[in-house]
Amino acid sequence: MAKKEVAVVGVGLSKHVSKRRDVNIAEMVWEAVSACYEDAGLKPKDTDAFITGNMPAFEGVNLPEEWGAGHWGAYAKPLLRITTGGTTGGSVAHGGYYAVASGLYDIVMCIAFEKQSDGNSTMGLNTVALADAAAQFQLGVDPGFMAAFGGGAVGVAVYQASSYMKSSGCTTQHLDKVAALCRNNAALNPYSHLKQPGLTPEEVAKTTLLQYPIRFGHVCPATDGACAMLFTTGEKARKMMDKPAYVLSVSSCSDEAAMVGIAGSGTTNTDPCVQEGCKIAAARAYELAGIKEPRREIDLAEPYAPFAHQMLMFYERLLLCDEGDAPSILDSGSMGLDGELPVCPSGGVISTNAIGASAMERVAEAAMQIMGKCGERQVKKEVRKAVAHGWGGAVNFNVVAVLSDTPRR
Amino acid sequence: MEYKNETVSIDGGWPLSTWQWKMESIALIQKSLEALKKKKLLGLKCPGCGLVYFLPKPYCRCLSIPDEWVEIKDTGTITTFTFSGAWAYEGIEEEGATGTPLIIVGIVLDGSDTMTVCTLEDVEPEKVSVGMRIKLKWPEELLGRLDDIAHCVPA
Amino acid sequence: MDKEVAIIAYAQTPYEADVESSREMQVLQVTRAALAAAGLKREELDTVITANNDYLDGRTISNMRLVEPSGAWQKNESKVEMDGAYAALYALTRILSGDHDIAMVIGESQASVYGGYVPGIMMLDPTFDRQRWLLNEVSAAALQARAYMNACGVSEEQLAGVAVKNLDNAAKNPLALRAMAGADVRKVLSSRLLYSPIRELMASPLCDGACAVVLASGKAAARAEKPVWIKGVGFSHDSYLTERSLAEMGSLRDAARRCYGMAGIEDPASQLDLAEVHECFAHEELMAYEALGLCAAGGGGDLLDSGATRIDGSLPVNASGGVLAANVACAAGLARIIEAAMQIRGEAGEHQVPGVKTALAHGQTGLCAQENIVYVLGGE
Repeated sequence: MAKKEVAVVGVGLSKHVSKRRDVNIAEMVWEAVSACYEDAGLKPKDTDAFITGNMPAFEGVNLPEEWGAGHWGAYAKPLLRITTGGTTGGSVAHGGYYAVASGLYDIVMCIAFEKQSDGNSTMGLNTVALADAAAQFQLGVDPGFMAAFGGGAVGVAVYQASSYMKSSGCTTQHLDKVAALCRNNAALNPYSHLKQPGLTPEEVAKTTLLQYPIRFGHVCPATDGACAMLFTTGEKARKMMDKPAYVLSVSSCSDEAAMVGIAGSGTTNTDPCVQEGCKIAAARAYELAGIKEPRREIDLAEPYAPFAHQMLMFYERLLLCDEGDAPSILDSGSMGLDGELPVCPSGGVISTNAIGASAMERVAEAAMQIMGKCGERQVKKEVRKAVAHGWGGAVNFNVVAVLSDTPRR
Repeated sequence: MEYKNETVSIDGGWPLSTWQWKMESIALIQKSLEALKKKKLLGLKCPGCGLVYFLPKPYCRCLSIPDEWVEIKDTGTITTFTFSGAWAYEGIEEEGATGTPLIIVGIVLDGSDTMTVCTLEDVEPEKVSVGMRIKLKWPEELLGRLDDIAHCVPA
Repeated sequence: MDKEVAIIAYAQTPYEADVESSREMQVLQVTRAALAAAGLKREELDTVITANNDYLDGRTISNMRLVEPSGAWQKNESKVEMDGAYAALYALTRILSGDHDIAMVIGESQASVYGGYVPGIMMLDPTFDRQRWLLNEVSAAALQARAYMNACGVSEEQLAGVAVKNLDNAAKNPLALRAMAGADVRKVLSSRLLYSPIRELMASPLCDGACAVVLASGKAAARAEKPVWIKGVGFSHDSYLTERSLAEMGSLRDAARRCYGMAGIEDPASQLDLAEVHECFAHEELMAYEALGLCAAGGGGDLLDSGATRIDGSLPVNASGGVLAANVACAAGLARIIEAAMQIRGEAGEHQVPGVKTALAHGQTGLCAQENIVYVLGGE
């Protein structure tokens, strides 16, 4: 069977706010799914397969699609559940890419969501390491130290930030600038959560220090929200619309050794900001996409950055510049909506984080920018190629997708 | 029939106590902990790729099983750090600043290929940096527990 | 599909009630064994898909710690949170896309860790069903058994007959957890009553284990000794537990239809040499006979009684003992694929059925087999 081109023909997003108490999971997701069908001009009966995911710990429901997917049009259809933690949305999008590229399923609905307000986010997140923490208590770790190690409200990203700032020369002022840039972009995005038009870096600098070096203003919110995307073959897409966005390639890299390994055995990822996996995934994605010089050929980037430093760190790890150069590129203004290589025009994860959906929303934004559907936040330059990224796992799982306005061949 | 536009919240639970995790790594780690009583740091080396795991791990990413005990030093390098507890950071007065924060560092001990974490003492927060050399601070009484290697000082 | 994706190697751990080993080490074991059987080094893997579940493993992002023991370090890895038979499907699409040639597929869980039926209860609709504490995997299955028995006139003896057949077969499978050579209906019917009509020996034993399959593209499989080709695959999602007729397996019928269409199977009863069915409960196998088109609607009991599905019958079903012999959630369906492949390759040892060229493998996920996936495999 010949490999098929993959195109995005529809994107749908629900409202993204901190607590949706007016809908349950199935209803919230349907908002995104129905918007996606409408965007594509398709119906559930047209769909050949469904791929869905969320982070199972947050809602306290095992396989929510078992009772929810009927509401999304999946009855008597092939349905696959893919979950990889914070990168779930990206992994679901990758699943959609492969489903179409395989030639077996022509029209694939990809759904990613999170309804954190239904559950207990802290408890959900803690289960990442609960087994190992329990083991370490048995072996004599002081619980107070364990709690302090955990990074408080921020989590283990503090270590990544600390190390990145040393290796790149990124300062806290850069973090403030990133937050301000993203929240201003978010103000132009009807689907974002934290919209702060006119926010200045100085205002971000005044927010509470949560855990060195990260301030409250540098951190993402907890959002309830859903994202849906329709993938189809290039051939079908061209019959449906003038300007589909093509997914040229996807790649992921699992460099998992967590932060302290199993039961405290230590991690072989000795420097958390290196993120070798992101570089490997990006290199492979560019290679498959036929991109030889990403820093020249990529027009727009949506890195996954719930914490401000990550926008700069992943810009570098996505091979868009030399290591250590992102802070000065930010200073130059190049990352703005009217810049040479806009970053996070959506406002990014730092403005909107429905965890299971977030990595898909990076792909969705890249697609919408290519299709010219971003209204007020549409970037000034023509977007021919874009890169979308997801980060998560414990700390070392990266997913990358490259999109374009023209197919691979 | 009239629908009321109103939702109800329903309480539920997730009984965590039903999991009984299994970890043979603990058996390995206990051997290293025992050696701490003699101020010896024992890591486990992988025959496939040569990586030294401290604390020991029962499997390696190269799919071989680490099986050679090697001694590693009690000196090492800081690869990352953070501070816990509000204090005057970069001269900015923080609410509830208490003075000296707890300094948590990620360290790679000499001879090991893994990063572990502990607290750093006897140094001002502003002086802490990635790349600094440290030495483990052994407690007075060695109990053969993770606590024994939970502290370090600048070397 | 014609010679595009093949199974070139596999491995299963023995199935145990409470193994002296973590899931990481069990995964390491099957990964090493499958790579060795394939004659491949870890470096030659292009992608790894694992099947595991946060609620079973008691950790969220449950695949994260499996990256290293599954050979996925610094590789393109993902996780399907369903039975391993679905992870195989995802790996298959990755290979057909042309981006990957060789995939490792793994399924695992340990019942001794999650301790029973709580994860199943967490699958229930959280608004109504979960609150009432009446439904769990077994009580829901009991409701389905009763609905099926009433609709098709199937008796408890016939349900027991499935258990007798499979547990007797399991005595020839060295990996099985539960086996009873010379089992009889009386023994099954006098085993502990769980929820009427389901008795202990009619319910699969949840246990510990892991299995791995190596899939290869046509190009890569050309070098393999005995590739087992995937001729067709189909899967389908049914309505939630309380929103469908439990008297039949609608999504299995749909999955089979899709699979048969791809594999060119028009008369499964005569074209299939063997089937490995994912029967968590004895009645599910009878329902599967019908949904798979091995007999007419309502004819499941009769097919069993005819002896056709015995290991020496015209269409042996579950020569391995099936899931009634060992139920590792997230792996049981993948194990059916392995058992079917073993039969085709002539590697099933004591429970080998002679002359198997075309075999069916079935996997399920969700309460009362809400999700079903069907494969047709063929030899050279």
